[in-house]
Amino acid sequence: MHTFRVIIVLLLMVSLPMTGKAAPVTAAKADKCPVCGMFVAKYPDFLAQVIFADGSHVLFDGAKDMFKYYLNIKKYQAAKDLSDIAFIYVMDYYSMTPIDGRKAWYVIGSDVFGPMGRELMPFVQKADAAEFMKDHFGKKLIRFDEVTPDLIKGLD
Amino acid sequence: MRALEKQRNILDFTLSSLGRRKGKNIALVLVYTFVIFLLASVLFFSHSLKKEAALILQDAPAMTVQKLVAGRQDLIPTHYIDSIRQIKGVQSVAPRLWGYYYDALSGANYTLMVNADLNDRAGEIVIGNGVSWRSAAGKRNQPLRKNEIIPFKTYDGSALSLKVSGLLPFASELVTADLILVSETDFRKIFSIATGQATDLVLQVRNAKELPVIATKITQIHPDTRPILREEILRTYDAVFDWRSGVIIMVLAGVFLAFIILAWDKATGLSAEEKREIGILKATGWETTDILLMKFWEGAAVSLMAFFMGIFLAYLHIFLASSILFAPVLKGWSVLYPHFRLTPYISGYQIATLFFLTVIPYTVATIVPSWRSATIDPDSVMRM
Repeated sequence: MHTFRVIIVLLLMVSLPMTGKAAPVTAAKADKCPVCGMFVAKYPDFLAQVIFADGSHVLFDGAKDMFKYYLNIKKYQAAKDLSDIAFIYVMDYYSMTPIDGRKAWYVIGSDVFGPMGRELMPFVQKADAAEFMKDHFGKKLIRFDEVTPDLIKGLD
Repeated sequence: MRALEKQRNILDFTLSSLGRRKGKNIALVLVYTFVIFLLASVLFFSHSLKKEAALILQDAPAMTVQKLVAGRQDLIPTHYIDSIRQIKGVQSVAPRLWGYYYDALSGANYTLMVNADLNDRAGEIVIGNGVSWRSAAGKRNQPLRKNEIIPFKTYDGSALSLKVSGLLPFASELVTADLILVSETDFRKIFSIATGQATDLVLQVRNAKELPVIATKITQIHPDTRPILREEILRTYDAVFDWRSGVIIMVLAGVFLAFIILAWDKATGLSAEEKREIGILKATGWETTDILLMKFWEGAAVSLMAFFMGIFLAYLHIFLASSILFAPVLKGWSVLYPHFRLTPYISGYQIATLFFLTVIPYTVATIVPSWRSATIDPDSVMRM
């Protein structure tokens, strides 16, 4: 099973630069979040992923840690640049499927907590996010570009 | 190496000394075995039942929605589906049709359930093992086979004959024994249920964290419904099985008490003969530690033998003999389960629980009085 997974990852690494399209990955048991150091496979519901153009990827146990990484990438991976990022995936709260992180809607201040506490809950549609805000007392609905280091700090 | 040799010699002596008081020791082992047999049976039985229920419920829908009329379950209109599907987080909603059918011919209750695979094959049914034995009235020594017919009496008084097109697999007999799968048309015919109505609705929800919110919304949209979560069903099953094994444990408490008295009596009060034996051993040069070792081996031999025999018998009783002793208490109300067998399931945890409840206390209890008499002067012991 493990070798199978390795083969898949290798295949992905080889094929990705050619196609230029990066499919979301699933977390392996040993994958750790580079921001908090926790194993991500335990929290598949909150999985966030950054996939680089060279096919490598980093996984996070929540959108919050993904933003911490994204907003300060040099701290975690000096060799990489924001322009190296091909895709960002986050988990849609209702369907639990990976969605494009740059186009997602994020709700902050809700009563749903992730493995790292207060979270930005991602949604593929605005209507879903609005419904979630009502059900779970969300405070603010934001887009990807509106996330700032100060806002993330406010969540911690 | 010499220490090992010494242990072996002491064990050797212990066993032959046990053999000298054959009658008494055999009686003790028998009673002991019986108690362990009963305890192990209860443990195995309730664990297997729980395991079986969990096995079934793992595929159960995350949420079931029932309609209530005056606090009792009623048929649910299928147009409720549309409004429930609108709720965010609900992946799919499907109606279910199922119910109980009392068969006057065999005097048994069957569970009838609609299976989508049969919907384009009206007139056919798939039956569980228990049904195939029950319905074969007249020729009772052989079960119903494929293509034979079971007559049903519909709720409007007419008769409906359905052909057996297959038997259900044995995977979990407790649940499938009384099950009959029918097509939707036949089900509606038998129970006179109009289209547009279903027994209940099942929901698939991808994010389990949303279940309570969805349940609340359903009761807001349709105040006459009751959503039931899978976790609640699991808890209920657990409680029911715990309660039932509790009943048996209450009964067993008496047996266990009797055993404790016996063990206590046997273990704490050494007979004059045994005291004399200890005295003689001391007089011939045995040390107190050797005597304690001997008594330890004696207790261990008796309780281990009883332990293994009891567990072995309990295994036979529960998993091969259909738990004859407990069947009336632990099984449900249905008369359909004469042949049912549980899937064997034993964990190390159960065995360890039994071991520490019986073998260890007994062995320890035998050592204390021997230590007391082993420390007395051999001369006075022999004179007693």
